Amino acid sequence: MMAATSLQDERPARRTEADLALSVRGLRKLFVTARSQIVEALSDISFEVRQGEVVALLGPSGCGKSTLLRILAGLDTYDGGMIDWSLGEELNNAKRLRAATVFQQDSTLPWMNIANNLKVGMSGLRLSRAEQDERIRKYISIVGLSQFVEGFPHELSGGMRQRVSIARALATEPVLLLMDEPLSALDAQTRVVMQQELLRMWQRTASTVVYVTHDIAEALTLADRVIVMTCRPGRIKEICDVPFGRNRDVLDVRRRADFGALEVDLWKMIAEEVGDRLQ
Amino acid sequence: MTAIPLGEIEIGSVPFVAQVMRARRREKLRRMGFSIGFPLLLLAMWQAAASAGMIDVRFFPSPMRILKTSIETLQAPDERALIEAHLMATLSRLVLGYLLGAVLGIIVGVTMAVYMPFRASLAPIIYATFPTPKLAIFPLLIVIFGLGDASKAALVTLGVFYMTCINSLAGVQYANPIYQDVAQAFRVPASTRWFKIIIPSALPSIVTGLKLGIGQALILVVSAEFVSSNDGLGYFIWNSWQTLDISRMFMGLVIVSVVGGIAVVGGNALERYLIPWAKH
Repeated sequence: MMAATSLQDERPARRTEADLALSVRGLRKLFVTARSQIVEALSDISFEVRQGEVVALLGPSGCGKSTLLRILAGLDTYDGGMIDWSLGEELNNAKRLRAATVFQQDSTLPWMNIANNLKVGMSGLRLSRAEQDERIRKYISIVGLSQFVEGFPHELSGGMRQRVSIARALATEPVLLLMDEPLSALDAQTRVVMQQELLRMWQRTASTVVYVTHDIAEALTLADRVIVMTCRPGRIKEICDVPFGRNRDVLDVRRRADFGALEVDLWKMIAEEVGDRLQ
Repeated sequence: MTAIPLGEIEIGSVPFVAQVMRARRREKLRRMGFSIGFPLLLLAMWQAAASAGMIDVRFFPSPMRILKTSIETLQAPDERALIEAHLMATLSRLVLGYLLGAVLGIIVGVTMAVYMPFRASLAPIIYATFPTPKLAIFPLLIVIFGLGDASKAALVTLGVFYMTCINSLAGVQYANPIYQDVAQAFRVPASTRWFKIIIPSALPSIVTGLKLGIGQALILVVSAEFVSSNDGLGYFIWNSWQTLDISRMFMGLVIVSVVGGIAVVGGNALERYLIPWAKH
């Protein structure tokens, strides 16, 4: 377990109850297999997300981290425990979504142009046409696609389409931004560029993020805290603080000595997990 | 083809670009040459066989003979008016029946996909009756709708309905589930969900159904006119055969083929217009 006190945190420490964007208590998810066996996919999941914080859910594939994210996104039900959105509800007015999701696979709608893709995302909110147009302009510019507003997804590359998905989520100005391995379908070079872009976008929009990944370096590069999950059942093994502050650079961060140390720690934890599964 | 040595090619070199473009054009012309040339070759063989007396020209008049008959027929004002009347009779049945079948098929198919009780109730009936040859139901349709245009349009409607209904149903059911996830995760209101997400995501399959429906519609309208009609292209073909006016019969076949060809070209254009994101 890493020390909770960060070495170089540029943000003021936020530890009060009022600053919680989300609180998950004893969450449980069960599946019933075709042979009538009950499988516990998530067991006793408890964690908190503070406002303005980036939390990474890290673990090998099949450990239920995507299931957890789908539950938070409202795409799946749960069988025990509770999710407290109280601050989320407080901030959640008709002009913001409680949570918006960026999916792992391409989720742009190919039959409409980029501007309308963002508009569909906002269609559940009470926004005037002018407010919608203003948000489209703002968030398309944040993801750097201003000249493609009238273009269609099939005219863009995979990385650009994922930027559209990110802009669509940001445009709902969500209390919580959920990201399910959003960069895993991209090539290695584009991924590093996008990591830097994500840091910049979150900084500009003061986003609160839950970020699912199986990539240890990515979790350390992007998150303030890393939640390490175990497999079968999916439990929280450890919650590590990442003391790099929010104003960080993707390449600089990798040169730090504590980055290497943290990476090794996390590797060991995950390796134990994968080892358990092999036995 | 004259090869340019690689060392001499400059980026932006006009001769090189021109040469590549020329090669592409030539390839395209070659393809078109085969596509047009082979049917022409078949016609020429037919013509030669007729001229050489290898086939009985009373039943297989030569292509030139058919062309001549067609031109003479179309030049005679009363004959021409008659053929136009037959064409219009067929087209009106076709268009009416097709539109009705397509609209009903899409509405029922999409609703079935989205609303379980509707699907569970209707799917057994639709899948059980789908394999029935539609023409076999024609007598029943005559009993219901009478001998006039209505029963023939209804037959077309029936054929088109099955094609569009089953394809619309499959289109929604097998659309990428990510689109439904987007609708739910962003709490999209129902109308937006239907018209901006569900139906467009099924559109490629719906258009396939519409295109398959064209063929069905044409088969059914001509068959219905064979069996019970005093006008229409089907009647024209059948009547020409019965009076052994084989050249006229072939002329009727050509007109039906042209109608079908135009409809297919229209269907492809509709596809490019409605689903520009799909690769054609």
